[in-house]
Amino acid sequence: MSALNAPPAAAPLRTGDGAVPRSRARGWRGILTHWPQYLAIAPFYVLFLVFGLFPIVFSIVLSFTDWDGMGDIHFAGLSQYVYLVQDSRFWNAVANTFIIWILSTVPMLFLALVIAFLLHQNIRFRGIYRVAFFLPNVTSMVAMAIVFGSVFSDTFGIVNSALTALHLDSVPWLSSSWGIKVTIAVMVIWRFTGYNAIIYLAGLQSIPTDLYDAAKTDGASTWQIFTRVTIPLLRPIILFTVITSTVGGLSLFTEPQVLLGDAGGNGEAGMTIVLYQYNQAFTQFDFGYGSAIAWALFVLASVFAIINWRLLSERSETPRRPRTRRTR
Amino acid sequence: MTAAEPTHRPTAPTSSGSTASPSPSPTSSTPPRARRARRTRADRAAIARSRLEAVLTHLLVILGVLLSVFAFYWLAVMSTSTSAEIFGYPPKLTFGSHFAENLRHLTSSIDIVSALVNTIVVAGACAVLVMFFDSLAAFAFAKFDFPGKNVLFVVMIATFLIPGSLSLVPSFILMSEIGWVGTLQALIVPGAANAFGIFLLRQMAASAIPNELIESARIDGAGFFSTYWRIGVPMLRGGLAFLGIFTFITAWNDYVWPLIVLVDPGRQTLQTALQNLNSLYLTDYGMVMTGALVSVLPLIGVFIIGSRHFIANIAAGALKG
Amino acid sequence: MTSPTRRALLRAAGVTGLLTAPLAACGTSPTISEDPDELVLWYWDRSASPELLTKAARSIPGTASHVRADAIGTTFDTKLRTSLAGGAYIPDITYINSNNALYFRNENQFLDMNELGAKEYASDYYPWKWDLGTTPENRFCFFPLDIGPTGFFYRQDVFEQAGLPTSPDEVSEAVRTWKDWIDLGAELRKATGSALVTTAQSIYEQFLNASAERYLDEQDAPLYTKDGSAVREAWDTAMAAISAKVTAGIPEARKTDQNAGWSSGKIAGSVNAAWWSQVLQESAPDSEGLWRIADQPVRPGNSGGSFAAIPHTCKDPEGAFAFIRWINTPAHQAEAYNDVQLFPSAPDSYASDTMKYGGRFFGDQDPLEFFSRAAEHVPTSFISTWESVISGYFTLEITNVETAGKDPDRAWADATAAAEKALRKRGVLS
Repeated sequence: MSALNAPPAAAPLRTGDGAVPRSRARGWRGILTHWPQYLAIAPFYVLFLVFGLFPIVFSIVLSFTDWDGMGDIHFAGLSQYVYLVQDSRFWNAVANTFIIWILSTVPMLFLALVIAFLLHQNIRFRGIYRVAFFLPNVTSMVAMAIVFGSVFSDTFGIVNSALTALHLDSVPWLSSSWGIKVTIAVMVIWRFTGYNAIIYLAGLQSIPTDLYDAAKTDGASTWQIFTRVTIPLLRPIILFTVITSTVGGLSLFTEPQVLLGDAGGNGEAGMTIVLYQYNQAFTQFDFGYGSAIAWALFVLASVFAIINWRLLSERSETPRRPRTRRTR
Repeated sequence: MTAAEPTHRPTAPTSSGSTASPSPSPTSSTPPRARRARRTRADRAAIARSRLEAVLTHLLVILGVLLSVFAFYWLAVMSTSTSAEIFGYPPKLTFGSHFAENLRHLTSSIDIVSALVNTIVVAGACAVLVMFFDSLAAFAFAKFDFPGKNVLFVVMIATFLIPGSLSLVPSFILMSEIGWVGTLQALIVPGAANAFGIFLLRQMAASAIPNELIESARIDGAGFFSTYWRIGVPMLRGGLAFLGIFTFITAWNDYVWPLIVLVDPGRQTLQTALQNLNSLYLTDYGMVMTGALVSVLPLIGVFIIGSRHFIANIAAGALKG
Repeated sequence: MTSPTRRALLRAAGVTGLLTAPLAACGTSPTISEDPDELVLWYWDRSASPELLTKAARSIPGTASHVRADAIGTTFDTKLRTSLAGGAYIPDITYINSNNALYFRNENQFLDMNELGAKEYASDYYPWKWDLGTTPENRFCFFPLDIGPTGFFYRQDVFEQAGLPTSPDEVSEAVRTWKDWIDLGAELRKATGSALVTTAQSIYEQFLNASAERYLDEQDAPLYTKDGSAVREAWDTAMAAISAKVTAGIPEARKTDQNAGWSSGKIAGSVNAAWWSQVLQESAPDSEGLWRIADQPVRPGNSGGSFAAIPHTCKDPEGAFAFIRWINTPAHQAEAYNDVQLFPSAPDSYASDTMKYGGRFFGDQDPLEFFSRAAEHVPTSFISTWESVISGYFTLEITNVETAGKDPDRAWADATAAAEKALRKRGVLS
């Protein structure tokens, strides 16, 4: 195995103390040796301790109370969590969230990869294309609600008009259970594909071009370059987008709310976990229950983040690179 | 795996198509001399193929562009329309004649200049601080080993998973106790470093910064901070540009927290000012859409300027140099 | 059972000395305005006449104070509640929407305006509105601003096509009961294919809005479980409307579909409040002149309408009350109608003859005349603070029946079971 495939944090990187053996320096001495690194990461933890920890502790405490957001706080033991487990509306929201998450994340990340790959090629007008793909992410949500409401309108929408023109059955996008989920997923894909593509593009920027040149010289097809060069090199970034899309997907709120309102549409078919939490905390003013829902979501998100992490990182641990290209 | 690093993979940026391919294509397994002999015919085919590819690529991209731009175009149309036209049936997709009127209503309803200045200050400060603090931390996490690193990293990722929406009341109480209610630093300081950006840049650094560079900097006697400045920052340019742009956008568009904490009507951000145009009764959507358009345009400018950094490919050059 | 105060708990949760030390250092509750003569008002756009606010900004007549009016957007409740919970930067006067019953649980956050002399003005306002501003503890915390008396809006041209009665008087006469109203809807559907209203939910809600009895009584005991309760009657009416197919099944969130329905006449009516005429004019401007308003079956109800309240931290309660009374005199409410179409809660506003409806949206019919008459007949009712906790279960199940064909008996059983569970959870039932 080449030196490059050793963990990047190799012993020689330690500064100063040459007496420290290859094994890790322990205790205060080790910590002091690494003061610049601790200083570098300190701002995040300091800010978190000052501004983040208190609200978090507060919301954990709240989940064991029946606070209504204003009055006195009465402890309620585990009753919020007991109710949560038996609450069919909550489980409906969990199921909806997962369905929409799967419907949106997979096509979104794939499309984003393809777009990033295409924009990374030397095609003309790519500056303009980049801006175009970026626009959905900043277009105002109020405007989006109106646009999507019009486009997917059951009786008058553009999509159904097109379907009818093609002699296909029109779909009750905004009134059927699946129609609602698909429409929300489309909205998510529409809004975040460009965003993820831009992350990938930033990642691609860091891949040396000589790898492409080499692959091209070797006669690799575009598809081969995409699957054999681009995707493996982007794996850490893909891991990042999968984790953030998991967190984002499980916390889905804005799209269903602007499209369907606080109630989540017919039969609550578009009710997501966070929309339900919002409902309980900010329209029912049941902050205790809202907090319990939030922490249930945290557990779910953690489980899925860990699963994703394992799935993606195990594969990338298989070192596959003979020492070619980069050291040439 | 050494040093028990679940969070710290060797990034193994793999080979080109030829070497990693389990079933190598005929060309790549053919010795160079034979390849050269077949070149003319293959070249012609390749040129035709790449033409077709280029055309298809453009068609695909243009389709995506149209879908993306559509809603923005509609927003622009709505900003030139009256409320009635916006919700009219069938939807009107051509520009109306009420833009000037909407803009006049907007500027007379809110102090748009002062809101704009405040928003630029907040979003700009957030972007700069986040870029700086996050890249420092990411660089340390990605390229250095120190005791407790894994635990610290996992804690950081965990904070990223914590749902934030319930923290309004305690955060407000905290801000009022330290006397920051109504000030812009209440919007800037709490978010000056975040897990999202550290995680992103760490992942980018893992593949973008070769260890040889760090190693040679060490041999040259460079300390952590100078290595960060000389190698980390330039090599993370694309990621930093992305993080800067999107931190700016997030701060620019944030409204729930600013709405709670900015109690002084004379000190508002663009989004809180625009939110205050919404009524529980009747909302003038023409004016609201004009406000939305006005608030989006600067973001497009920021994106155009910042996104230049997505193109420049400096990693290769740095390695060779 | 202990019930620690918020601040005590917050400090305790403030994780040891790290936070508590600096917190303890500064003890005073910060105020929203340092100027002793300035009273801060939170309202939202179009909930007050801008002209009157400008006057009050100079000075509140009869006092040394003046008003600073801060417009707050649609996240009004969140902002107000956060400030009240945090005990800081609370406005001196605040407007509150028709969901004021939600604040009954925390009524001690607001001053009893009877102690400031509100009683002597009670006769100026509709008694049912005044009652809605009175808490179960009989404290008067919510002063009447505007109201939303309801009627039956319909498309005269579509009714004519269908061979139905057309003039408001004839239609009113034809729909004295909800059964007649649904029968008329069925005829309309048969003749033109048009729906009578958007959703069964809207029928259910407007039925209750016109009812003296609602979900819970003043002791928070459930009424909906009783035979022949108003909730059950409203439910049965909604079910009858669904089986007669007179609803379009398009909820409010789908604004574009609704507007298209109203514009095209595919939805030919709505039982709705006075303020809705403004919404309709903006939603379906092409249908100007085609709409009329008739009496809804049985009696008119009230939907929406806001209140003004004085938080307990107000620095000058007398001045605040003087402002609230001043901006709500019959004459000023009439001005507010002319400015921003707020429907007055003081009957004398109409008598003052200064209120004008200038539009032609309802042909030669004057909606002002219609709704001022309707407002006289709105029944007095009590809205429980817990109503919002359970009403959603009923409307959810009605939608399930309407759009997914759920069995109505099953739906009723599910709704009442879920409501009971929710009330138990909040400690209303034990």
